[in-house]
Amino acid sequence: MADHSPEDNKLALKVVFYGPALSGKTTNLMQLHSLLNPQRKGELMVLETRDDRTLFFDMLPIGLKGESGLDLRLKLYTVPGQVQHDSTRKAVLSRADAVVFVADSQTGQQDNNATAFGNLEENLEKVGLDIDTLPMAVQFNKRDLPGVVGDTELQQRWADTPWAPLQMASALHGKGVLETFRVLLGRLYTEVDREFALATGHGIDRDTFIRQLSAASEENRA
Amino acid sequence: MRNFEDDPTLEDLLTSDQRQRLNQMLSALCRKPVSIGKDRSNGSVALEFNLETVGWLSGGSCEQERLAVADLVSFLMMFIAKYRLAANLHHDTTEASYAELQKQNAALKASEARYRALSDQLQEKVDEQVAVIKQAQMDLYESARLRSVGQLAAGVAHEINNPIGFMSSNLKVAGDYVNDLRERVPDSELNRDLLDDFADLIAESSDGARRIASIVSDLKTFSSIDQADHTLCDVNDLLSSAVHLLQTEYGHGVDILEKPGELPKISGHPSRLSQTFYNLLDNAVQALKCRQQGAGAEGWSGRILAKTSVDDGGIRVVIQDNGCGIAEDIREQVFDAFFTSRPVGSGTGLGLTVARDTARAHQGTIQIDSREDMGCRVTLFLPIR
Repeated sequence: MADHSPEDNKLALKVVFYGPALSGKTTNLMQLHSLLNPQRKGELMVLETRDDRTLFFDMLPIGLKGESGLDLRLKLYTVPGQVQHDSTRKAVLSRADAVVFVADSQTGQQDNNATAFGNLEENLEKVGLDIDTLPMAVQFNKRDLPGVVGDTELQQRWADTPWAPLQMASALHGKGVLETFRVLLGRLYTEVDREFALATGHGIDRDTFIRQLSAASEENRA
Repeated sequence: MRNFEDDPTLEDLLTSDQRQRLNQMLSALCRKPVSIGKDRSNGSVALEFNLETVGWLSGGSCEQERLAVADLVSFLMMFIAKYRLAANLHHDTTEASYAELQKQNAALKASEARYRALSDQLQEKVDEQVAVIKQAQMDLYESARLRSVGQLAAGVAHEINNPIGFMSSNLKVAGDYVNDLRERVPDSELNRDLLDDFADLIAESSDGARRIASIVSDLKTFSSIDQADHTLCDVNDLLSSAVHLLQTEYGHGVDILEKPGELPKISGHPSRLSQTFYNLLDNAVQALKCRQQGAGAEGWSGRILAKTSVDDGGIRVVIQDNGCGIAEDIREQVFDAFFTSRPVGSGTGLGLTVARDTARAHQGTIQIDSREDMGCRVTLFLPIR
């Protein structure tokens, strides 16, 4: 849950990148680190193992200051996707404010996607969160690879869920990463504004929230 | 409780010892000493970690020097924090996994206990069923035996009743004829002796025929061919026919003293009661025989007492003998089915088993008091319902 301390005028939000093993969660975060140029950006913390698989998590803090002096932080986390790290996934997922589900587009990986999504649902329930009300964006990654499930088929399959439309990405090439993040920020804003009156109390409207937190480096330079 | 992801404070990242050493090392690099502290002072530079100001750096020769040192410190803190975060997360997940394991362990233990209880019950249930089957088998055996005895007895009784009937009747007429002859033959010593002897012969034959008729009647009672399963029965009658039957079988040399008391009729299975009395009496006869064949039988005479009385709301049947008694070491087994102390082929090992089952079927009890080489007393108690 959002960590709000009124005395410091600080609001910390937690976004978790979830998904099956090797679907590109860490790649998403690394791309965000290099593509993003938000008001404030911390160091990307990667707790990598020898074979480059995530063991604990990766974390990227970004932030912005509101007109009221509100210090708003967004901590972006990834979880380890491998099945055996379930208790780590649960620990990282606890108190999350939003989730980006990174799925693998390859035809052979659809079962793993389903398993990981089921695991997300189960773990959210265990940490006291509800998948139906939690702000979430679903990204299908690796669109650049051959043998992926078609766009229309995927969009159709997810059309009746609260997470449509899906975001298509090729994180390795930096495509679709910012777009996914912006969709998530939009959904997150709705929830956070309702609870903390960002627009009326702190002068942060939806547009500012999304633009400031997801400003791209190129755009800023331009 | 703090979460692994809570922003670390300066104390979390560096102990005061480490902070001092770091101050010394950094100061050695700078033109003027620098120091890391928690509070902001004039000209100090913020030390940032994760967008969070964790401390302030003061001292140094100029702003540029302070900024350079602050960068270095932030860089160092990044690695310290990485380790901390990983360690805390590892600790959290290990504890969670352990708690989960313990929960599973407890659940497993509970389920194991449940299955153990179930398996114990299963053994009990199997034992129960085995006992029921054993009992049913024995009942079947006994009832088949009773049925065949009954059929045999019925056949014999039917076949004997007719000839015995006309024999008795003819002998009676023959006796009258002898009396008629007395008037018709010349009165002489020889004739008188002959006729007297003739009359005696007929009288003895008549008596024999009467006894045969009585045996047939006892056989009928014993096999209960004309009785339903549950009827009112007179225990004295049943006991008496068993005694007669036994005397017929062993000859009248067996000394059986009957002491029937005044008894009400009770509801029961006459055939099973007869069989029981017969079995008990037969055991007594066997015990007498056994003692007679043993040493020190001179001056001893075997006796059997068959006594009935009303007592404690029930009928007490006592069958007592002064035979060889029951040896101590087999006393526990005498009621066991197919247990017998007699030579192979002469005992079925069911006598007392049937007696006990009959007592139970009448909600009664059976008790044996015995001393080896002194005798044995069997007390059958049948409640009046």
